[in-house]
Amino acid sequence: MPPVPNDASKLVLLIGTVKGAFFYHTDADRQQWKLTGPHLAGWEVYSLCGDSRNGRIIAGTCSYTYGATLRTTRDLGATWEEVDRGPAYTAESGFKLNRIWQISPGHASQPGTWYAGVEEAGLFVSRDDGRTWAELDGLTRHPTRPQWFPGNGGMCLHTILVDPGNPQRLWVAASAIGVFRSDDGGLSWKTCNRNLPSVPTGLPAETEVSRCVHKMVLDPHRPGVLYQQFHGGVFKSEDAGESWQSIADGLPSNFGFPMTVTANGDLFIVPLQSDEQRFVPDGALKIYRSRDRGRTWRALAKGLPRQPHFVGVLRDAMAADPLDPAGVYFGTTMGEVYYSADAGENWHRLPGQFPRITTIKAWLT
Amino acid sequence: MTIEVTVPSLLADCTGGRRQFPLVAATLADALQRLLEEYPRLRPHLYDEALQLRRHVLIFYNDDNLATIPDRNVPLRAGDRLLVLQAVSGG
Repeated sequence: MPPVPNDASKLVLLIGTVKGAFFYHTDADRQQWKLTGPHLAGWEVYSLCGDSRNGRIIAGTCSYTYGATLRTTRDLGATWEEVDRGPAYTAESGFKLNRIWQISPGHASQPGTWYAGVEEAGLFVSRDDGRTWAELDGLTRHPTRPQWFPGNGGMCLHTILVDPGNPQRLWVAASAIGVFRSDDGGLSWKTCNRNLPSVPTGLPAETEVSRCVHKMVLDPHRPGVLYQQFHGGVFKSEDAGESWQSIADGLPSNFGFPMTVTANGDLFIVPLQSDEQRFVPDGALKIYRSRDRGRTWRALAKGLPRQPHFVGVLRDAMAADPLDPAGVYFGTTMGEVYYSADAGENWHRLPGQFPRITTIKAWLT
Repeated sequence: MTIEVTVPSLLADCTGGRRQFPLVAATLADALQRLLEEYPRLRPHLYDEALQLRRHVLIFYNDDNLATIPDRNVPLRAGDRLLVLQAVSGG
């Protein structure tokens, strides 16, 4: 996917938090920013997606009390409308829909198709541009389903990837379960966890699942190449997820949550101290970038706080825009938003302090 | 009979942007049914997948918790209220 030239286009940074959403508006220069929000104030917003096909924003909203639904806006948040027939498990399934963790457009050849990844882990599809949704229950009927185990954040399906070269091929990732791939448009699934270490769930180590993938991305240039930030490591697959190899050499820790990739193929992650100490090592906020597909990593901190800064970054709270040079954005567990307009060389903080940031997406309208 | 319904502000976008609104019904059971018929977007927020009232949602008929009213064929009277509340959850 080639980068988008910086000659037009408005960019909206979509920021989801545990108490609503905020939008930062800018242009391709990414110098002047205008804030709007809170939108959907009071709702947990775990997923946001800018829909360039229809000029709208889709939000996955939830509340401990009132459950999870999708809401959309066509006027940048001035008004919202709930999706009437959104993702919902049937009573017979026995599953509960606690949160909507990811909203992703389908393949470019399927303009009406959308996917939603939810907690408890499952995948929903819409074939009519998001008006009605149905569960792709081949996933929750997978023989490993009785062994699925929730991570600290819940049993969340947080990553949905569509093969740009094959609309029938999908990957999903869920915590603390692992990676699944479908080659028939989501009807059936196979586990893709070979060489990933199992995490302690009480199940035998040889189980196909119990793999706690935190975030996964596709290489934009090499078909079938994937990368993931794992609960204990960073991994790469060169065979469409059939097997994984460590690419963690040179990193300060093997724990972290987010991972994003730019249109040029640069990888970005935020290592954390450990699974027990979920803040950046030594309180030094640094982003790590690889420009050689995970072979080497470089710490980037120019412009980031120099004082002790014991924050974390959640799995969906980092994103890249498609511009050249790429913009990279992340939000912290303390509600700060940082960005780089030059692929990570220099960082800046956007004004404001927000609730705990759950998701960030860069939407080029 | 017209009664007054109040919902939490979080759910006001399911009821045309209003927190308080009138509802015409003959009995309490009728009112609960009409509430969901007229405002179907409330349903997934009030009831779970098993069609049970969500654990932290309370519905009050005047001063009484609906859960404590065994017979809901109560005729409604002028001035009656139906109140949807969030149970105190957390600190």
